[in-house]
Amino acid sequence: MKLGSYEIKLEKRVALRGWEATAISTFAILFALVVFSFVFVQAGVDPLTGYKEIFSFAFLSSFGLPLTINRFIFLLLCTYAFIIPMRAGLWNIGMAGQLYAGMLSAFAVAFAFGGKGSQGLTLSPGFVIPLMIVAAIVGSAASGAIAGFLKGKFNTNEIVVTMMINFITFWVVARMIKEGGLFMGSSGEGEGFKLSEYLFAPLIKGIPFTVFIALGLGVLLWFLFAKTKLGYQIKVYGKNPIAAKYAGISPSKIPVMVFSLGGLIAGLAGYHYFAAVPGVYKITKNYGEFGDLAFYGIICGLISQGNPLAAIPIALLFGGLTNGGRFAQGKLKLGFGIDYALLGVLMITLVAFQFFYRYKIVFVKTEKEK
Amino acid sequence: MLLESIKRGDTVLEAKGITKRFPGVLANDQINFEIKAGEIHAILGENGAGKTTLMNILFGLYQPDEGEIYLYGEKVNFKSPLDAIEHGIGMVHQNRKLIPAHSVIENIILGHPRAGNVLNLKRAGKEITELCDKYGFKIDLKAKVWQLSEGEKQVVEILKALYRGAKILILDEPTSALAPPETKRLLESIQIMTNDELAIVPFITHKLPIVLEVSERVTVLRRGKVTARLETKDTTEKSLAREMVGREVIFRMERVEVEKGKPILQVENLSALNDKGVLALKGVSFSVHEGEIFGIAGVSGNGQQVLAEVLAGLRDAEGGTLLFDDINILHNSSLERWLKGIGYIPSERVDVGSIGDFSLVENVAMNYYFDKKYAKGGVVDYKKIRKLTEEMIAEYDIAAPSPDTTAKSLSGGNLQKLILARVLSRKPRLLIANLPTQGLDVGASEFVQNKLMEAKKERAGILLISEDLDEVLSLSDRVAPMYEGKFMGIIPGGEARREVVGAMMAGLKPKVDEI
Repeated sequence: MKLGSYEIKLEKRVALRGWEATAISTFAILFALVVFSFVFVQAGVDPLTGYKEIFSFAFLSSFGLPLTINRFIFLLLCTYAFIIPMRAGLWNIGMAGQLYAGMLSAFAVAFAFGGKGSQGLTLSPGFVIPLMIVAAIVGSAASGAIAGFLKGKFNTNEIVVTMMINFITFWVVARMIKEGGLFMGSSGEGEGFKLSEYLFAPLIKGIPFTVFIALGLGVLLWFLFAKTKLGYQIKVYGKNPIAAKYAGISPSKIPVMVFSLGGLIAGLAGYHYFAAVPGVYKITKNYGEFGDLAFYGIICGLISQGNPLAAIPIALLFGGLTNGGRFAQGKLKLGFGIDYALLGVLMITLVAFQFFYRYKIVFVKTEKEK
Repeated sequence: MLLESIKRGDTVLEAKGITKRFPGVLANDQINFEIKAGEIHAILGENGAGKTTLMNILFGLYQPDEGEIYLYGEKVNFKSPLDAIEHGIGMVHQNRKLIPAHSVIENIILGHPRAGNVLNLKRAGKEITELCDKYGFKIDLKAKVWQLSEGEKQVVEILKALYRGAKILILDEPTSALAPPETKRLLESIQIMTNDELAIVPFITHKLPIVLEVSERVTVLRRGKVTARLETKDTTEKSLAREMVGREVIFRMERVEVEKGKPILQVENLSALNDKGVLALKGVSFSVHEGEIFGIAGVSGNGQQVLAEVLAGLRDAEGGTLLFDDINILHNSSLERWLKGIGYIPSERVDVGSIGDFSLVENVAMNYYFDKKYAKGGVVDYKKIRKLTEEMIAEYDIAAPSPDTTAKSLSGGNLQKLILARVLSRKPRLLIANLPTQGLDVGASEFVQNKLMEAKKERAGILLISEDLDEVLSLSDRVAPMYEGKFMGIIPGGEARREVVGAMMAGLKPKVDEI
């Protein structure tokens, strides 16, 4: 294409630097917001007012911010649960099932030690709380490991397996909390029992301590992939399983490893939301919605291209928007689903802009005709 | 000029001042050459010399930036290969472009303008049979392509071009995948074809002697320029290689005599299945000694690949024993074998031996991440591996701007040097080199062969698998020709006669007195 005395060309990028990726993503977000303004205009709302409501509720209000942070922790953990298998070239679609497995395991521990409602604890909380976390980790890792084992041993499609486990676990939860299930709450309204207040996870300035786990994992995963032997093995397998085998990397071990690790982190997300977020502390009726929310982990993982540190701002943004979008929708009396529409536009733009990860636009001064 | 009036010796195609630029590369620089009716005109050049570009221009795949092409004295401007085909230019690519599930005849008439929508196989069959009889090709037209040998596939490609009326036939590396008897048959047919005033233009990087046997004139390309135009009879293999590479090339690698040590690898009655579940390695027995190169000669697909993979721990054996240093390693993983000192250079350098998206440092790490000196406590010391990579780039003269370059940006020869450097730097006691010079030009091949010889001097046992008979014979202390999963015998390298080994590769048992 020609523009005056310049020619515009697409050029393949040889390497993508960190700041370039950041700039491209930021530009994509701004672009999405501009595009979405038309929806606001269509609905008769000034876009600036609309965005102000969304962002000020999500990130500045004393009521909205904690909700955003809780969602952020949840999303970030789900993102990590997706990223680890992704780096091995495998797709974890089973964050929902894994987080339910972690949630059930944690509540099983609480149940076993008398943590159900007002019963007396048979052991000190200082022992039961860590045990709940360990149970969540082990339960969800085991759930993830099934897909990994089947992949490594029989080359079963991991997407199908994790998907199926989602359904199975979803119904196991229903069996446990409804119609006389072991974990049924006292109200009998289709939700789980409330945790004894001794078992409420510790808060730091009103924020669940799990935020440190999530952020700490970010650093840990960055280190895993950048420096460690295991991270290297995962990356080689992810790029080329046959070359991995040549280099002495066990093609059956890596899938089990990444799905156990991914599942483990999804289990922490389950523990976080149902046992550490203030005001919840039970398996809620709408647990299915959180299973659905877990799928945003896939989006955040893809946008951050498997980079655990880049996932942090992206999960924060999505956490804030799911939260602020819903709020603004109610306050400005916008149509149903407008919050999801915003997220949709954002996702498509972010993914579309990844084109610029591979290509750049260059202006070439055209030579004068001879 | 009318096609019918062309006589032997008339110029049929003339290229003048062909120049083609790619970003940062001058692929063809003012190339002039001409082809005469009834001649075999070889074009020689290393990988990257500009042969492929030139060929693609002649065949209409690229348009030249400068220069003109004259066909039978008329200026032509090919917009596409279809254009070129209609003008009577046929081309046989190095990577065969046939449909394996279809029969020979179906492949030949595929895309033929006369084929139309209703196939007249009977008429086509008759015409193709006539072509075969005329040029001495023997092929079953009803056979499916997947059942054919490489040589037969080559014949199908040639028939396809001829059936479409090619008067000028461009052949890309025509003999590179063929066994010696097949090569001989092909060259005979090519010579018959020239009786019909067909011009044949083979492009060659290696196997100089075989094709030069039949060619009349040679044009040599180096770095996009024509460096020599010669009559074949005035040249020698050596002088051609010098023109091609730009320096002296040693052809017959001097076999260094090293005192043979104890057996490092002992294989007894080893068998294994291929990917299709068919027994492809049928009980081979041999040993490789320290300071010895044991060569396996054979045409691809006769079980060499399966054997190499079993030895490297990448494929399970069906039966047999495998002793390394007198210890059974049949059930050791590939990692355990690396750690014991078995190094493997795979034939698939892009798909197995390296990872294109990874930097050179990360590629070198493939053989070092498990080494305690380079990865302490589960943390890989990338700095140290980077230093190692820099040393390899310098020592092996790998053309790469930095160790952070991705492997996919390297040329085939440089990538092979990197893999070789990486594997040899581990100082393996047993080295399995699977087609180490396949697809490399003369200069790079020579380099690789030198390095193998050096490893031998350092008393490594080397198993060399090669399709190149000259290479195996000149490097190996002992040679085992392999055919259909079995060794046809084990012969001392120095005494082996080319024809005998070639016949054995094709499955013929030698008479005792021939060896």
